[in-house]
Amino acid sequence: MPPRPGDAGPSDVPSAGRRRLTLAGEASLRRRLVARDEQALVELIEVASPWLLGVTQSMLSDPDEAEEVVLQVFASAWDRAGSLGDEHESLLPWLLRIARNRAIDRLRRRRRWRLKLARADAYGELTPPSAPTAEVDEAGRPGWHVHESVHAALAALPDEQREAVRLAYFRGLTHSEIASELGIPMGTVKTRLRLAFGKLRVTLAHIKDWVL
Amino acid sequence: MTTHDWYVENRAGHVARSLEPAEERTFRDHLVRCDECAREVARLERELAWLPMGVAPVAPAPGLARRMAGAILDRPSRWRRYLPLGAAAAVALVAAGVALAGSDERRDLRVLLAAREQELVALQDTLSVLRQAHQVLQTRISMGDHQGGLLIFQDAGSHRWAVIVHGLPPAPTGSVYQFWFITETGMVRSVEVDAETRRPAFLTLPMPGVSAPVMGAALTMEPVVNRSSEPRGVMLAHVVF
Repeated sequence: MPPRPGDAGPSDVPSAGRRRLTLAGEASLRRRLVARDEQALVELIEVASPWLLGVTQSMLSDPDEAEEVVLQVFASAWDRAGSLGDEHESLLPWLLRIARNRAIDRLRRRRRWRLKLARADAYGELTPPSAPTAEVDEAGRPGWHVHESVHAALAALPDEQREAVRLAYFRGLTHSEIASELGIPMGTVKTRLRLAFGKLRVTLAHIKDWVL
Repeated sequence: MTTHDWYVENRAGHVARSLEPAEERTFRDHLVRCDECAREVARLERELAWLPMGVAPVAPAPGLARRMAGAILDRPSRWRRYLPLGAAAAVALVAAGVALAGSDERRDLRVLLAAREQELVALQDTLSVLRQAHQVLQTRISMGDHQGGLLIFQDAGSHRWAVIVHGLPPAPTGSVYQFWFITETGMVRSVEVDAETRRPAFLTLPMPGVSAPVMGAALTMEPVVNRSSEPRGVMLAHVVF
């Protein structure tokens, strides 16, 4: 996952073109979901699906399966709409966590995961934003500023730590699988991950309160 | 390196879900007992909540949102299949009550009918928690030759859980099965569970009266003498949301 040209540091995220749900906007959407407003479900899918598809396609390397997972995530969210009134967590990170967990579950059910990994490599690692979305006004996409910030934080990691994060967090591999993939001891994998997360939790701290 | 250092070292792996399956089970068991690790893991998850957005978005196919919403809204209710069972049980109980009321021993039968009506109310109450549950959690319990399970229906509307424990033998003499809530600030003792191998135990529980959010639940086997606020016995099962 090399840094993209023009990547900015977390504190240098450009403000131009930012568009996102305000805190009040997200609270309103949440209330409408709790009230089983079907239009709110459509709006939630419109706002969140590009990011969920990004994560699941990157992990599963299969657009159809990724879409299936995303559908399950939204169905699960709709089924749990009653608990969405609890605002201790923003909607999007919550949905992303479910999507990532489901994608990992699927990856681990695959007996021939190495074959899929090869396909994933062919598909491309953390998908550069220009590839599948070139026609979309990315700067205006809700959450784009968060993506830029996270991408810059990942790009700032030393190569070996970023690779460990990529394989563990974005590919769902276990420590032993990563060790095998990289040809390094498992203890080294754990150390790299621990160091990387230690840095990321600091560099990402400033976006913890953002909403869509 | 102390035992606890191992857990500290593997917090990141747990959050990333990169632990091996056996390690993950060990770590989860530890989380139930260790407030420090539970707190640190929760904090790490919060701080890394946006990390998945390091992946670029993918433009959905045209009309995807409407198509997905349509698919979600058109699903049959998952509780629909339970309704005939509930209705049949209610009809059977009322019919039994009416039939009994027609006999000569009216006074005894009125008492019996009242008891049945109370059972019916309890059944309807339990059914309401099951029907309105927004989340269902389950986990297996292994005890020697016995394979049981813990099933939790979480109803956020009424802030109650329907809990089913099944497949466990009666607790050995001197021990009890103890149900716990796991909160962000620690374990909260709930009720003791009477287990019978052949019949599941049904519990309808209100949320504990603490301000900390409930994160999960656990079932332990405790010595009868342990009335402390912390589990001391054998951890049989736990689930964390």
